[in-house]
Amino acid sequence: MINDIRVGALIAYCSVKRGNKKTLIFIVFVLSLIFMNLVFLPSMIGGLSGLFTGFMQDYPYGDIVIEPMGDNTYINNADNVLKKVRAVEGVRAGTKRLDVGASINHKQKVVGVTITGMLPTEEYEISRYPYIISEGDFLSDLSRDEIIIGAMIAGTGFGSEIYDNLGEVRPGAFVDVTYSNGVKRTYKVKGIMEGTFEVVDLNALVHYKEIEDVYGLEGKEATSVVVRVDEQGTEAQIQDKIREAGVNEQIFTWADKSESLIRQAMQSMGAIDIMSKIVSLIVGAALVLIIIYINVLNRKKEIGILKAVGITPRSIVLSYAFLSTFYVSLGISAGLVLYLSLMFYFQANPVTFYETMEISPTIDPVLLIQSVVTMLTLSVIAGILPAWSVSRESILKAIWGR
Amino acid sequence: MIIVKDLKRCYGTGDTAVRALKGVSFEINKGEFVAIMGASGSGKTTLLRILALLDDATGGEYTIRGLKVSSLPEAERSYYRLTQVGYIFQDYALISEMSAAENVYLLSMMEGKSKKESYKTALEALEKVGLKGKHDRVPDELSGGEKQRVAIARAIAKKPDILFADEPCANLDTTNSKQVLDVFKELNEKYGQTIVMVTHEPWHTDYVDRVITFKDGSLLSDEKKMKE
Repeated sequence: MINDIRVGALIAYCSVKRGNKKTLIFIVFVLSLIFMNLVFLPSMIGGLSGLFTGFMQDYPYGDIVIEPMGDNTYINNADNVLKKVRAVEGVRAGTKRLDVGASINHKQKVVGVTITGMLPTEEYEISRYPYIISEGDFLSDLSRDEIIIGAMIAGTGFGSEIYDNLGEVRPGAFVDVTYSNGVKRTYKVKGIMEGTFEVVDLNALVHYKEIEDVYGLEGKEATSVVVRVDEQGTEAQIQDKIREAGVNEQIFTWADKSESLIRQAMQSMGAIDIMSKIVSLIVGAALVLIIIYINVLNRKKEIGILKAVGITPRSIVLSYAFLSTFYVSLGISAGLVLYLSLMFYFQANPVTFYETMEISPTIDPVLLIQSVVTMLTLSVIAGILPAWSVSRESILKAIWGR
Repeated sequence: MIIVKDLKRCYGTGDTAVRALKGVSFEINKGEFVAIMGASGSGKTTLLRILALLDDATGGEYTIRGLKVSSLPEAERSYYRLTQVGYIFQDYALISEMSAAENVYLLSMMEGKSKKESYKTALEALEKVGLKGKHDRVPDELSGGEKQRVAIARAIAKKPDILFADEPCANLDTTNSKQVLDVFKELNEKYGQTIVMVTHEPWHTDYVDRVITFKDGSLLSDEKKMKE
């Protein structure tokens, strides 16, 4: 076996050393594209998934969200919950919110929205709401009779043409809000927020006290308590710690929440991703097979000669295994360079999705390792098969074609 | 050394069957330089390929040094081709991407020799065929005669029992042919190498000890020549 390996390696080495360099470059180029095809789409889907996840963390859910138990509408002692949460080690900040249904009316145009009542100064530590004001200003602690409206319903942002909107409402305009309990209020638009995310841009924000007044609450209730942690990745541990601290409401990490909201979408994309991977692998393996097969056919006579002078079929097959490993390794290396270049390019120049969302692909080392191993394995098999087939032919047929 | 008994080879079946060898018998002794002659299609190349284990007979048997090689399994036939038999092709049959030395020492490596030892053996074999200093050249950088001498070096480097040569001068001019035949002659006379050479050139018989002539798949004549 050792002799077979040595001879196989020598044949492969000579073939690479003195073989046609243009052919080698072509093969490596094709293989690099196959590799790219294998990893690029999953990276983009990963980026999209990361984007949605980021949105969920940055706006409705934070890192951890606490919601009322069972059928309760409110967390009844939200301040107490917040006190316990803030005392937990690893929690960076927490705030309470009140989400209610309402309709907004402006010049005979009416849209239904979710209005979130929030404590503006606390939001700076919790969410990105204060940072996405495209026109006007964010709420302040003294904001009363003021409202922030999402760009899609204001009619100023992308998506306005798809959804019902108020017809280009600008800061300073007055809108009438009818809450789900029938109470009507008139608010001055303080700002327009544009988060390039429907969950944000189709909603509106007011001060927590406004909702409290409208619904006659006592200053302790919340529909959610949103928590941010010091270190990403510790959410599950902190979720446990919050439970241990005596919070008896429903506690979700952003991942739990994403599961229901995003996972469905990601599962569909995951299916596309898997199909794309399978197709890429089949195409890749077929291409390597074709490349090596043509190579083997061109060398059929040489294979016959090698057999005729006493080189074992195993050495010949091994030489092609080495050769395809070499081709594929070079192809993967070139593909990696190409892939990383594209990744860095798209990270610097994100792809605009849905006209507003900028998707930066993510580089997933596990995906890369999986793809390298899969491609190497498949390609080596694809390389060996034709060589094995020809090496089993009779010497006469291989050399003289009969 | 070689005993051939009623050897037959038939290609195809039924009405289209071609009987390339119709039951030939002869013996070749150790140290003989034998020319096998005959017109195209007479069966001489078929015989050589069968003796060198590149093809199978469809009837009869043959032994080499008492071993019934015709019935060996493929793995042993491969080993036999590697260690006991040297075969020289009409068209050199060198590996184009290997240098002269690599073409030769590949076989020594297959036999299990170290790279250094294999390289040394290859250089000695190339020197023996008059190619000293040309070991680094690839086939494309060599003349036809030189290529054939590399092929001879490859065949003799392993010191085979028998050297089979299938029209080794067919693609060479007279000068190069003479050089190749001189090498054969030297190998035969100096090292006692048994050589069986297929040829159709009458003047090649000047170099050999014995001429076996085939016609239509049968042995026509077997003539020993007097050594000068």
